[in-house]
Amino acid sequence: MTLNWTPEVIADLCVFIIVIAGAIATYSFPQTRKIKSLLFIGLGMAVQSLLFLFEAIGMLFLNPLFKVLDGIFSIPGAILFIIAINYILKETYNSITLIIACSFGILIVYAAFLPDATTGVIFEAGYLTINWSGLYGFLGDLYQAYYAMIIFYWGIKTYLHAPILMKRDALIFFIGICLLPLSIVAYYFTLIDPSYIWLSDACVASGTIIYLIAVINEPKLVYILPFTLYRIVVKDREGNPIFDNDWSYSTINEKIFTGFINAVQLMSEEVMNMGGLLDINLEEGILIVHESEFITIGLASSKSSKLLRRNLVNFTYDFQKRFEKELKEYCTDMEAYEPAYELLEKHFSNFPKRIIPSKKHPLLLSGKHAKIPFELDNKLKQIEPNIESYEFLKTEIQKAPLCITKDFFTLYNELKNETDQLPEKEIKELENESGNE
Amino acid sequence: MKSEIITRAISLDHPKVQEVIKIAEEIMNSNKILNIDNLYHIAKRSLKIPRKGLLTIIQFLVNKQVLIEGSKYSKETVLSNRTRRNIYEFIKFNQAVHFSHIRKNISEDTSSDGGSSGQLIWHLEMLLKFKYIKKFKLGNYTVFLPTNLDEESGAIRFLLRDKLNKEILSIINSKKSIKRSEIYKILGEKREKVYYHINNLIEYDIIALKEKQDKEVCINPEKKDLLESILKEM
Repeated sequence: MTLNWTPEVIADLCVFIIVIAGAIATYSFPQTRKIKSLLFIGLGMAVQSLLFLFEAIGMLFLNPLFKVLDGIFSIPGAILFIIAINYILKETYNSITLIIACSFGILIVYAAFLPDATTGVIFEAGYLTINWSGLYGFLGDLYQAYYAMIIFYWGIKTYLHAPILMKRDALIFFIGICLLPLSIVAYYFTLIDPSYIWLSDACVASGTIIYLIAVINEPKLVYILPFTLYRIVVKDREGNPIFDNDWSYSTINEKIFTGFINAVQLMSEEVMNMGGLLDINLEEGILIVHESEFITIGLASSKSSKLLRRNLVNFTYDFQKRFEKELKEYCTDMEAYEPAYELLEKHFSNFPKRIIPSKKHPLLLSGKHAKIPFELDNKLKQIEPNIESYEFLKTEIQKAPLCITKDFFTLYNELKNETDQLPEKEIKELENESGNE
Repeated sequence: MKSEIITRAISLDHPKVQEVIKIAEEIMNSNKILNIDNLYHIAKRSLKIPRKGLLTIIQFLVNKQVLIEGSKYSKETVLSNRTRRNIYEFIKFNQAVHFSHIRKNISEDTSSDGGSSGQLIWHLEMLLKFKYIKKFKLGNYTVFLPTNLDEESGAIRFLLRDKLNKEILSIINSKKSIKRSEIYKILGEKREKVYYHINNLIEYDIIALKEKQDKEVCINPEKKDLLESILKEM
């Protein structure tokens, strides 16, 4: 039996190998292995790869059945992708798009078994080939367009919402994703000139490689959309804040945020009976409060999420374990709990920080780390023995015009001398002048 | 789903982290704007560490609040500090105030961070530098006032904040001239105290001794209109 080796067969086999390798890669890298949405994407890719394999086999053996089957494989492939995208976008599997994809899929399966589903073996552009035809061909092409639109929507949303430190990875991801719908466009051009199949296959292969590289390199890309984390606060049993971290600016009022945590602490027994976890819906987001033996943790986010709650519980458990000694000794020094940033990395590293809105956004070194001239530093320490005030002034000096420090010390001495020389009675009178209004 | 993305633990003591902090310092010292973009590019050129590693360090510095949001102050942004804004509002409202008065008010203001005298003087210096307020010396006192208020009005307003001064000036203003002894009798206060205040007002040129009648005082004619308008306002 002579095999029908054509350029299209070779291209399809190449794409099959690349896509299946990509699917395997999503399970191979430790940083992506346990991400649920990537599990579906990997499965979707594996099924999609069969589309190319069956298409290649169909043409290699000139067997119309395989050509029909390849189109059918695009249905579960697309459905798995849509499930993954739904999970990324909404943390749920269901959506209208999924229902449409499934319903559409049933129609395609029906059309696949109609007598005119393929053209049969025809001679096209110098080679023997088999194409879809009739209703099956029309629905199959439409289905590809629908799928391409959903993928493009995901890509563009991810890129637009990516925080600045991930913008480059998000751009690479977006370019890769864009190549997939482009492959569908190129595929439509095969109706005019069959040689466009090369371009279509090249787009699929390169797009798959590019977006997978982006995701493997920066897995946070698949966490960009579901929600924004605002802040986490840990309080001890006495209500003292012992750890505080911001991911992004929130509009949740500070008084409401701390007020709710305090309220939960007051009814700790009831909360503990409920499993220690409480969701409080606020207008501007949600506050998840977790109560445990030694601590109360408040996590503010734009939405509630199973993943967040689970991570919060795990974080609480690790926090208590790590700082058991400090908590039992009622240590309230926030510095003692600084290593909790590592726990934050462990449990919440997937969620991007958005605290700095753009790459060009001006920054400063905080007072603690800013270095100022030795002489100036000494003078500051003399007038400000309080460490917080000293650091505040250091930060302010960085933000102020260069010449200001000299004038500041002059004014300081002037006002200090003045108040030292004035009799106490006069100072009291000056202080109380407001009472005379 | 478990989130077990592996991230390499770095600390502030890590030499590369220290080098990035140093670069940030150099950028600031050279009076350039520090932002992620220029920090990244300068650090990338000089440290030659991979992009991902450098971004991790920058992210770490942001997480640890070593790099904080902010820029050199401008006239528009200098009031973004709540305590400083409160001080400015206080001076604007009271028109002419002494440092002790501001200090007491700010320490009692629960919406401000309070802060030490050093911080308060810093805020005053910033307001002076950005020309939101000005200061002048009135006798032994340094008086702060908004820039739109002239020193003459400031001085009168400052002196009128004192209850006794206000009463003395009201009495003198209601008559063409009046003997000092009559003032203390009207007020029912100790003579020395009233005389001390009258002498101060003479010294500050608000009132003047009537020519040929040494013991009578009157409002300085040059300041009469101004004083009357301020008295009405108050």
